[in-house]
Amino acid sequence: MLSIANLSKRHPHSARPVFSGLGLAVAAGEIVALVGESGVGKSTLLNCIAGLETADAGAILVGPQAKDIVRLDEAARAALRATGIGFVFQAFHVLPTLTVAQNVAVPLLLSGVAAREHAPRIESLLARVGLAGFGPRWPGTLSGGELQRVAIARALVHRPALILADEPTGNLDPRTADEILTLLLERVREEGASALIVTHSQHVAQSCDRILTLTPDGLQ
Amino acid sequence: MKRLAWWLIRAQFQTRRTATALSMLAIALGVALGYAIHLINDAALADFSQAMKSVQGEPDAVVAPQDSAGRVPLALINELAQDEGVALVVPVIETRVRIGELAVRLVGLDVFSAGLLMPDLLPRQGAAISGDNIFEDGMYASPALLARLGSKVPEGTHRAGAGVTATRGDATWSTRIAGDLPAARPDDLLLVADIARVQAHFGPPDGVSEGRIRLAPDTKLANWLAAWKDRLPPGLTLRAAADNQARLSNISRAYRVNLNVLAMVALLTGGFLVFATQLTAVAQRSTQFALLGVLGLAPRMRLAQVLLEGLAIGVPGAAIGLALGWAMAVAFTRLMGGDLGGGFFSGSAPVIAPEALPALGFFSLGCAASLAGALYPAWLNRMQPLAQALKTGFAQRPPHQDDSPRQRGGKVLAVALVAGAALALTQAPAVFDLPLAGYAAIALVLVLGIAAAPLVTQRVFAALARRELAAAERVAVQNVGQAPLMAQVAASGLIVSFALTVSMVTMVSSFRVALEQWLDAVLPAPYYMRSKGLPLPAELLAALERPDAPFARVERMAVGTASLDPQRPPVAVLVRELDRADPSARLPFAGEVFTAPAGNIPVWISEPMQQLYRLQTGQTLRLPLLGREVEVFVGGVWRDYSRQFGAVVIAAVDYRALGGRVEATDLALWPRRDAGDDATAQRWVREQAARHGIDGVGSGEIRALSLDIFDKSFAVTYALEAAAMLIGLFGLAVTLAASVWLRARELATLSALGFDRAMLTRAVMLEGALIAAIGLAVGLACGIAVGAILTHVVNPQAFHWRMDLQIPWLQVLPGAALTLAAGIMASRFAARQATRLPAAQVLASAQ
Amino acid sequence: MRRRAFLLAPLLLPALAVARQPAVTYPAASRATRLVFPRDHGAHPEFRTEWWYVTGALDTAQGEAGFQLTFFRSRPGIAEDLASPIAASQILFAHAALTLPGKPLLHAERAGRANLGAGFATTDCDVHIGAWAMRRSGSGVTEQFRLKLHDPAFGFDLTLKPTQPLLLQGENGWSQKGPRPELASHYVSWPQLQVAGSLTLDGRRQPATGRAWFDHEWSSEVLAAGGVGWDWIGINLDDGGALMAFRIRDGAGATLYAHAALRDAAGRLTQFGAGETSFTPLRRWTSPRSGAHYPVQTEIRCGPHTIETLPVQDAQEIAAHRPLPVSYWEGLVKIRGTLSGRGYLELTGYAGALKL
Repeated sequence: MLSIANLSKRHPHSARPVFSGLGLAVAAGEIVALVGESGVGKSTLLNCIAGLETADAGAILVGPQAKDIVRLDEAARAALRATGIGFVFQAFHVLPTLTVAQNVAVPLLLSGVAAREHAPRIESLLARVGLAGFGPRWPGTLSGGELQRVAIARALVHRPALILADEPTGNLDPRTADEILTLLLERVREEGASALIVTHSQHVAQSCDRILTLTPDGLQ
Repeated sequence: MKRLAWWLIRAQFQTRRTATALSMLAIALGVALGYAIHLINDAALADFSQAMKSVQGEPDAVVAPQDSAGRVPLALINELAQDEGVALVVPVIETRVRIGELAVRLVGLDVFSAGLLMPDLLPRQGAAISGDNIFEDGMYASPALLARLGSKVPEGTHRAGAGVTATRGDATWSTRIAGDLPAARPDDLLLVADIARVQAHFGPPDGVSEGRIRLAPDTKLANWLAAWKDRLPPGLTLRAAADNQARLSNISRAYRVNLNVLAMVALLTGGFLVFATQLTAVAQRSTQFALLGVLGLAPRMRLAQVLLEGLAIGVPGAAIGLALGWAMAVAFTRLMGGDLGGGFFSGSAPVIAPEALPALGFFSLGCAASLAGALYPAWLNRMQPLAQALKTGFAQRPPHQDDSPRQRGGKVLAVALVAGAALALTQAPAVFDLPLAGYAAIALVLVLGIAAAPLVTQRVFAALARRELAAAERVAVQNVGQAPLMAQVAASGLIVSFALTVSMVTMVSSFRVALEQWLDAVLPAPYYMRSKGLPLPAELLAALERPDAPFARVERMAVGTASLDPQRPPVAVLVRELDRADPSARLPFAGEVFTAPAGNIPVWISEPMQQLYRLQTGQTLRLPLLGREVEVFVGGVWRDYSRQFGAVVIAAVDYRALGGRVEATDLALWPRRDAGDDATAQRWVREQAARHGIDGVGSGEIRALSLDIFDKSFAVTYALEAAAMLIGLFGLAVTLAASVWLRARELATLSALGFDRAMLTRAVMLEGALIAAIGLAVGLACGIAVGAILTHVVNPQAFHWRMDLQIPWLQVLPGAALTLAAGIMASRFAARQATRLPAAQVLASAQ
Repeated sequence: MRRRAFLLAPLLLPALAVARQPAVTYPAASRATRLVFPRDHGAHPEFRTEWWYVTGALDTAQGEAGFQLTFFRSRPGIAEDLASPIAASQILFAHAALTLPGKPLLHAERAGRANLGAGFATTDCDVHIGAWAMRRSGSGVTEQFRLKLHDPAFGFDLTLKPTQPLLLQGENGWSQKGPRPELASHYVSWPQLQVAGSLTLDGRRQPATGRAWFDHEWSSEVLAAGGVGWDWIGINLDDGGALMAFRIRDGAGATLYAHAALRDAAGRLTQFGAGETSFTPLRRWTSPRSGAHYPVQTEIRCGPHTIETLPVQDAQEIAAHRPLPVSYWEGLVKIRGTLSGRGYLELTGYAGALKL
């Protein structure tokens, strides 16, 4: 589902590359944890995979069609993100001006899923993340854990092949963090998606199928 | 996709109700103003040309003398009539006569030809008159005139068949009203009689005043005109009747254009408000847009969404504007008639008849303004780096745009280039008689002001930052310096609105001062008498000759017209009793005055005439006069604010020597010193004026009346200035609030570090004050520049009025102070909003 | 004599002649007057009424066509002392008509006052209203009349050349119109004019040739008391001769006065007095527009001759509008009987009694 080969990236004003010659593969249905020290480039790698930053060299093949996101133009990357990738952020990023249901509907709208499928998909997914009946509510009335559940629903609703999660439990208290992590992994497995989860938490990492550590010298 | 766009627009409207409503209102105002002016003018023109059609018919061509003292010889009418390319020649004698106190148009008709072209003027025999017809002695009156005559005299005397006496100067025709004009328009004061009867009493001898020509169906107008051009006797013009329409629209053109520019200003401010609103909206929602981008919203959709939101303001705004404009047009024409008080058209309220195409045009203008306002914010939104925006929020400038010294040099160069272009444009001539280059120069000056603002800001704040400042002040100074975009938006609103206000105040004040001086110069006599375009009654002139008339000096003036260009309204020919050796005693000259070489006839032309016909002092000119072209010497150019289409003065002595009769229409009167008190002269003037139904007033009254009219006609301008200032201030408040909001986390951090609320408020207020001060300073400079362009370029080109620049500091500086105070109040409001948030919550939300 | 002398004075200019007693005295047509040409082809403005009248038959691509062009001059007796060169003391009218086979009659009219778009000469036949004109020029073999008119519907530009000398009607051009000798006109005819020129129809010009009849008549008083209308005919006979005949009718249709003149091919002139001239209607055509019953087929006897009129088409009624509506029948007829030829028949006073 994700295959990275020989990836190199250097920030514009920096002498040292963030990484070079990096390789990585995530199989279908595999959940991989990415750990490493702060500033080592985990987020940059994630951004490169999502096409939000452009790698200097190498290839990143995403999804069942194995499209190389490095070679795509901006619009095609956006299209690939819309259909093939689901995101979970540390800071939740739920749109405050849309209701919970509308927030979850966004990827459906962006990936062009037929309108009649929206309501059943959203309802069932909200139920499975423990937010049955939350659809019409405004994000401002939700707790952090609830917001992250909305984010998980949103990441999965359009059935992407790949989930990218950046510190998904970083803003939550330990108990809620556990719940959310369990939920995320369960749902990802349920959907048969692959996932790459950036985390500092050993607990999170150990719940994954495989752990990769990013160091200045490369992946281990 | 549409659904998402709609959700976002709705959310935007709900969270920013005031800003959205105000932007919409400004767009609506601009559209309404422009559309109303269009509708009113259109209706007035249609009404006027309808009236002309009724009286003139719809000829293909018209032959007429070039000056009002000329005539179309009968021989030419007969020759034209026999031309095989001509279907019909309708000779007409039109003159104005006095009936009692009424000045009435008298049309002499040849029923045989006129019946085919001008059926509206055909007379109807009075029922009581049998065996009579139009060839007999008698006149036919329009219903409106019959009503007026009936109300002015004891009942019954002015029914059809009643006696009536028409006078013009010393010519008199006593006859009877033989019938009416059933098809005359309801408010036309009109008399019709047989052309030969009119000629026998009022002239012109052996000629008529106009020939209206209808061509045979297979005759090409242009070819026919060209063929006749060379055969035409001197002193006559043969023009396509379509030129009448051009003349007509030329009359109100400059006036209309200026009102339309005011509408454009309103539209521009509307566009600016959309800009401010959308820019802050983009800034505030940069994280949201970034998120949508990460989730897969295509880049062009991020652009389109902001444009769409702009359009969502523009479309309802423009629609409201159309409705408002229509309502305004209807209300104004009911209240003031079709000329908005401009004095060009008179008569009944014209009917407002909206048409689809112009409405669509103004609608699109409103939408275009809103789109234009949303363009830069949309582009900025499109260019936001997603990952960074998601994490840290709005980037005030696109990435990798740090100024290198070279870039800064380029900016200075660009500013210099724009300034040079603006300067060059002020020297450019009018295009299609419109000061388009002047308007472009004004636009460039405003652009320059906005573009220069960040440079000024950087300089000023770099200087300030070097000084030792208290903590709050330092924060404020740093913020303004580091957030150039928001500061620029806030400042540019003030720059534009204050510049426009200053320029308008400057122009109006310059104009008023010039007008006052001019009125002093052109009204040297204490009393004036004037008949409405008619020769003064012989009886009055005789009374002036009597020894008991209390005047030491009387100067007569006769007013005629001369047509130098068939497409323009004619210039006024003023025959005046003035000293040829010292015309400056009577005319307010601008520039040199030359003495005519021996044997040359001197004339003195007004500034509008000089500019319209590109004439110069010292040159000779072939002036249509007395039915021929007379070579005259332009002895000087005098200032004239009353006759926009030009005027030329010729001494009565010269006019008589050319064979002209001076039929005085205006009198200037100097009371005799020994005639007792001034009241005697005043009484004399009032009594005579009342007796003859003419105007008789003191110069003070004319002066007061003129200034009053001036002030009233600029009332709309003041209202617009106030609106512009409010919009500017609102822009400042909105952008300040937004920039404070954007920095909520930073302020919260400061708060956590020990700044108390008062200090934060002070910092934000200081920031607002600094931005306002810079905006006002740049706005003042731009305003004076724009005022100078309006005074020295736009006014001369649009109205052919020249005047000196007067900057009304006593109005401008308090205005600036007031605006500054209002700006500080606006930033205080913004500061309070920001500091009201509990620091902990802001920090925790970590947006 | 003729026709619109009655029509025009009282009707076309109603007020001019109806009620007012003119302040002017008009000269009467005098038996003693000797006509001199070309001067007497010109206008006689002191007389109340005058006309120049051309009728004829044209051979065109469409077949046989009839045409007429008439200029009337009227001195209504008003504005005589008005000090203006354009006083309405002399007024001109013109009527033109074209009869095309199987087509509705084409008709146009104009009016104008002398010296203001219209005019006439007193030295020769030269009369115009706008671009409509009738002018004589030349002498001997170059002598000709030129007729021009231009109307949106039709126009013509025709040259008429004499093939015979002038025909002075009555006594050397003094033509009696009623039982009293004051009722008379000066009346000159010119039959058998050779026509060549062009006809313009719907903007297309086409050549035309044919034969025409010219009349010029001026008078101040011609109408007998009780007259309501008249029948008149002028015929170019096939053998080169010419016949003119008229009668004046009263309200009951009885003849008040009649006269005829025949000039045979050899140039011999025979006059027929009232007793020798009669008109007998054979067939009437009813105008759907005015309702008038016109005796379009009429038997005319004069002396030994009996002829019958056969209109080329019945619908040749003219409805003039300017300045007031008046209807009369005027059209091309074929002649059979003891004489044959083509003529113009005029029938007036059938569309309601003329108000005199």
